Amino acid sequence: MTATSNFGGERRPVGFVPLAWRNLLANKPRLLRSSGGIGFAVLLMLMQLGFERAFFNASLEVIRLLDGDIFLQRASKYRFATKDPFPRRDLEAARTVPGVVNAWPLYADWHHVFWQNPTNDKNFLVRIFAFDPDQPVLPLPKLEGSPKDLSDLDTGVVDRRARRFLGMDPQPSAAELNGSKIKIIGSFALGPDFENDGTVVIGDRTFAKLLPNSRGGPPDIELGVVRLTPGSDPTTVQQAITAAVPSDIAVLTKAQLLELERKFQADVSSAGPIFVMGTLVGFIVGLLISYQIIYTDVAEQQPQYATMKAMGYRTRYLVQVVLEQAVLSALAGWVPASLVAILLFRIVGEVALLPLHMTLELALVSLLLTVGMCLISAMLAVRRVISTDPAEVF
Amino acid sequence: MNFALAWRILTHDKGRTALAVAGVFLAIVLVFVQLGFFIAVPRGGMLLYDRIGFDLLVASTAYEYQVQPGEFPVSQLDRAKTAPEVALAAPLYFGSAKWRSGEDGKAPDVFVIGLNPQAQIFTSEDLNRQLAILDQADTALVDSATRPMFGPLTAGRVVEIDGDKLKIGGDYVLGTGFMGLGVILISAKNFGRLFPFRNLDQVNLGLIQLKPGVDPDRAAASLRKLLGTDVQIFTHPKLEAHETAYWTTRTSVGLLFGSGLIVSFIVGVMVVYQILATQVSRQLPQFATLKAVGYGDTFLSGTVITMALLIVLAGFFPALAAALGIYAVIRDETLLPVEMSGARIAAVFAATLAMAAASALLSMGSLRRADPADLFG
Repeated sequence: MTATSNFGGERRPVGFVPLAWRNLLANKPRLLRSSGGIGFAVLLMLMQLGFERAFFNASLEVIRLLDGDIFLQRASKYRFATKDPFPRRDLEAARTVPGVVNAWPLYADWHHVFWQNPTNDKNFLVRIFAFDPDQPVLPLPKLEGSPKDLSDLDTGVVDRRARRFLGMDPQPSAAELNGSKIKIIGSFALGPDFENDGTVVIGDRTFAKLLPNSRGGPPDIELGVVRLTPGSDPTTVQQAITAAVPSDIAVLTKAQLLELERKFQADVSSAGPIFVMGTLVGFIVGLLISYQIIYTDVAEQQPQYATMKAMGYRTRYLVQVVLEQAVLSALAGWVPASLVAILLFRIVGEVALLPLHMTLELALVSLLLTVGMCLISAMLAVRRVISTDPAEVF
Repeated sequence: MNFALAWRILTHDKGRTALAVAGVFLAIVLVFVQLGFFIAVPRGGMLLYDRIGFDLLVASTAYEYQVQPGEFPVSQLDRAKTAPEVALAAPLYFGSAKWRSGEDGKAPDVFVIGLNPQAQIFTSEDLNRQLAILDQADTALVDSATRPMFGPLTAGRVVEIDGDKLKIGGDYVLGTGFMGLGVILISAKNFGRLFPFRNLDQVNLGLIQLKPGVDPDRAAASLRKLLGTDVQIFTHPKLEAHETAYWTTRTSVGLLFGSGLIVSFIVGVMVVYQILATQVSRQLPQFATLKAVGYGDTFLSGTVITMALLIVLAGFFPALAAALGIYAVIRDETLLPVEMSGARIAAVFAATLAMAAASALLSMGSLRRADPADLFG
């Protein structure tokens, strides 16, 4: 059937892309204009998407770094960055559960420790993390210095990427935390998030001295980091730990811990909707610009399209050419925009100390949006080709 | 003549002009929104200050911003009261506590403001009247913008805060700003009970109301002499400048919305330029003819500029209307004080005109190619 229907006079298109490609290149100034127009719309989308991801990633960064399989925290803890610790004995209960290799504490504080900038003696609130230096449950990115040295009392490592006004970069040799002298023995590169300007990591003994437990004894634990024996089933062990600890302790996998934080950020912060709206505007503006470009082009080429129709090319083929050209225009806008975005992300990321990165996901999402927006415009503009009547040309 | 020609070109191809106007409309809306946030974020940080009636604010030298104010001895406020200019000097205590009666067993952090219920410090008379209830033991007023995760805010509900039980005496309308997800007001006395480790001789902020007719700048200068260098004294404009600088330069807010602002502006330029350039190249033979019959380059450029102006003006006013609507939605959703002001309208209008000028300049290039000789080429 198909063979016979193809028989009568219909020409198969020879090349695949060349016609669309030539159309695109025919008018160089217009190409420049179109990739500029589409490119800026893409850049707007990329920036908004990039900011949105940076916002969420900054708050998730520390959780991602944690070196463990199962985590224990107070069930009433509604987000990661809030102090709501639990007693040490609850973590010890988890340690005895079969399948658990070990369970170590992470101590933290977000609102009670002030760092004195050694260059100007000004005090600023910082985020504090602490652990047993022999059990570094929070591996620090690009750490220079040995975490073992944190076992000495009154030592700490600081964040090179903390906000500049804290004076942590270059790393000072000593500083003050809540008025007591701390020797700085190294630094790491973590970066601030939207609430914390900088981070100091200290050993558990220093933490106990800095923020003593009001009830006496060792400080309460912010997060219990549990490692499982290889091959054990996390769900089974998770259930066993839940049964072994009091009901006011939540036992979570890393995915659940991340999800809790993501959900909190999405519910409470207005960042999500703000950036989604920016992306949407970029998309619609891009749609308008690409429609304008493709429509003009189709209109100008109308006699040529009519001629091709008269020669026997099917409407389908002509539509295909227009769509291909739309995809090419999309690429012509997307490629430079992505390159500019990579550069902008680097600059803004360094200045604002935000984790702004051009990830594969971001590249793919923006590429899909760009191609989608150009294809929609092409489909709207192509009606003109369909209506092309060979007779009108003459 | 310029106008007539521009009008004819634009109305000749209505669909295309509509597209251009729609594009400019969106770009301007986005400029409004980014600018709205750029300004609303510092305003959110000023929320409490904006709703309290005071002439001068006394703060510790360690004062960073509203939520990180540092503390100073209450004796400084007592000394301030002796100054002849001062009508009232009232302390404010800030604290953070765990609201252990949240939804789903969660314990969100609540921002606690301790004050003297006798001092009628708020600009809202309703709220000042409500303060009397705080004299009761362990009773709090809850900000109505406190998030749903805190559970119902009904008067009479007893909630657990840190280890203590507090009764909700009612709710008031002020806004939580950047103080936290929930805010309560309690008396200084109850504040001391809730935070037993806090020494009430150390206050976080001091509000000063001056006697009628006293110039705040002068009073600030004489109080500085009286109180010494252990504390700093802000007048309203100084405080606003300080808080705005904190939010725009210390946090990433400035950079985030600032860069969004610039990109939206450029997108607007691109949209108008796109339309102008297409129109110019489509009308190139006609422009060349005009040139041939004696119209100068100035006239042709004038026409392009007029076209650009017409497009952006047609986009601006609907964008302003839409922005007002969007601001209302953002106010409801984010609880930030995003408000339209005359200055902001003027600034965006100026940016809009600049958009027209930039895009017109860019399209001049194609116009110069209008060569009468080409007509018969």
